[in-house]
Parts: sequence; C-alpha cells; structure tokens
Amino acid sequence: MTVGAAELSDELLAARAATGDDAAFETLVVRYQHRVFRLACRLVSETDAPDIMQDAFLQVYRHIATFRGGAQFSTWLYRIVTNAGLMHRRARARRPAESLDELLPRFDADGRLEDAPDALRAASRVDELLDRQVLAKKAQAAIEGLPDLYRDAFVLRDLEELSTADVAQVLGVEPATVRQRVHRARLMVRAYLGELAGGRP
Amino acid sequence: MKDIVCMSGVELLMEYLEGALATDVRAAIEAHVAGCPRCDAFIASYLETPRIVRDATRMEMPADLEASLLSALRRAMHRHDG
Repeated sequence: MTVGAAELSDELLAARAATGDDAAFETLVVRYQHRVFRLACRLVSETDAPDIMQDAFLQVYRHIATFRGGAQFSTWLYRIVTNAGLMHRRARARRPAESLDELLPRFDADGRLEDAPDALRAASRVDELLDRQVLAKKAQAAIEGLPDLYRDAFVLRDLEELSTADVAQVLGVEPATVRQRVHRARLMVRAYLGELAGGRP
Repeated sequence: MKDIVCMSGVELLMEYLEGALATDVRAAIEAHVAGCPRCDAFIASYLETPRIVRDATRMEMPADLEASLLSALRRAMHRHDG
C-alpha cells in the first residue's frame, strides 16, 4: 500500500525536502500555512502576514538541510516565523498606537490590590460589552502595544497555545523566562482590557 | 513561609498555575486567595485574558492567498535552484 504524502510525518517530509523533493516541501507548506498565517497576523498584522509567510517558508526551503530530525519540525518553523516577524517589526520601527508597558495592577503600601473586586474583574467582561469588530481591533492593538519580547512569548504561549517548554525552545530561553514574559504580558493586556471595559487595572 | 499579600501572590501567579512553586508557597497563596475577594476577581480576569484575545484575533487565511503563496514560493524555488 502506498502512503500518500499527506499522511507522512513532518519530520519525514522535511527529510525528503532536504534531498530536493519539492513536493514534500509543498506538502509541509499546505499543512502549516493556516497556522503560520494566524501566527503572522498576531506577530505583525493581517496586512503584512503574507510577506512574513512567504519570507518564512522560503527560509525553510533554503535551510531545510540544516533542520535536524530529533527536533520537532513545528518548533523549528515557529522559530523561523517568529524571527521573521521580529525582523519585520524592527525594520518598521514604528511606535505602536498605544503602548501597554505602563499598564500594571496597582497595590497599596501594604501590598494589597487597590481596586474593588468589580473593577478587578472588568477585563473578563470586555467581550460581552464591546462589539466584535471593535474588540478584534482593540485586541490586535493590545498585542502590538506589548514590548517585543513579551509579545512573542504571549502570542506563542497564550494565543497559539504552545506549551511553555515548546515556547522556550522556539525562543531559545529557559521555561522560567517564558513564564515571566507571558506573565508580564498578561498583566498588561488584562489591564488594557479592564480599561476598555470601564474598570481600572 | 510568611503570609502572602496580594502583590507577592500576583507576582507568583504564573509560576503557581504552571506548578512551578514549592508546596509551602502554593499553600500560602491558596490560603491568601481563599480569604481575598480582590485576588479572586483578579485571578478570574487573568485567566480569561488569553481566551478573549485569542478569540478576537483568530484570523482565517483567505483562499486566494493559498494560491498566491504557492505560486510565489515556486517562482522563488526555481530561482534558488537555478
């Protein structure tokens, strides 16, 4: 029985692509394009996502021989896409419309959360309060307003739902560093959503 | 383990959720949160934040982009091979 290319593992396809099998490479493109598109939208923007995708898949094509089996292909691919996104953002060097890095929870002198429970809970109601399209814009603005390192960690861990261990591999840092970055990002985004919902950080 | 206040609990929240804390620290956090409506509210919104942003930014790849991506890649692959 012949096994169709669509049923082969990523790693086997990558090994074939490394020997010049373009069909194997294209199978990987088709398999991952939707995930890469979504990731690229979150790392850069919907407008720039096609450029990032093309750039990233071309890098995969050119460097597929350096991909070592043993590692997961998806982790390697995500690293390439994440780096392409970072390069793109740096080349633009555009200030985000809104910066989130000052948005953190407030504590009193004794270390107690300052705001009342209702205000603290406000972020969880934002999707009931805002129109879908408005929320989509605001959510994208929130991601764009994060500092670079936090943005990558937050997108990969909280939005793409990779495990902390996988994000650590993609970013080349320790899991504890991933947790710290995701935490900081989440504090900022949470506070931002809370403000949108009329509460305070 | 000293008593936890909101601030130190918030700082350790991600480590707590991922099971990266020592047992006595975990217990101290749980004891604090059980008696703190503010932390309870804070944690609820902290847990909801990823889902809200995830749902709001779930973009679908346009069908025409699939075709244009593949043809752009093929052109570049041939240049690369040539």
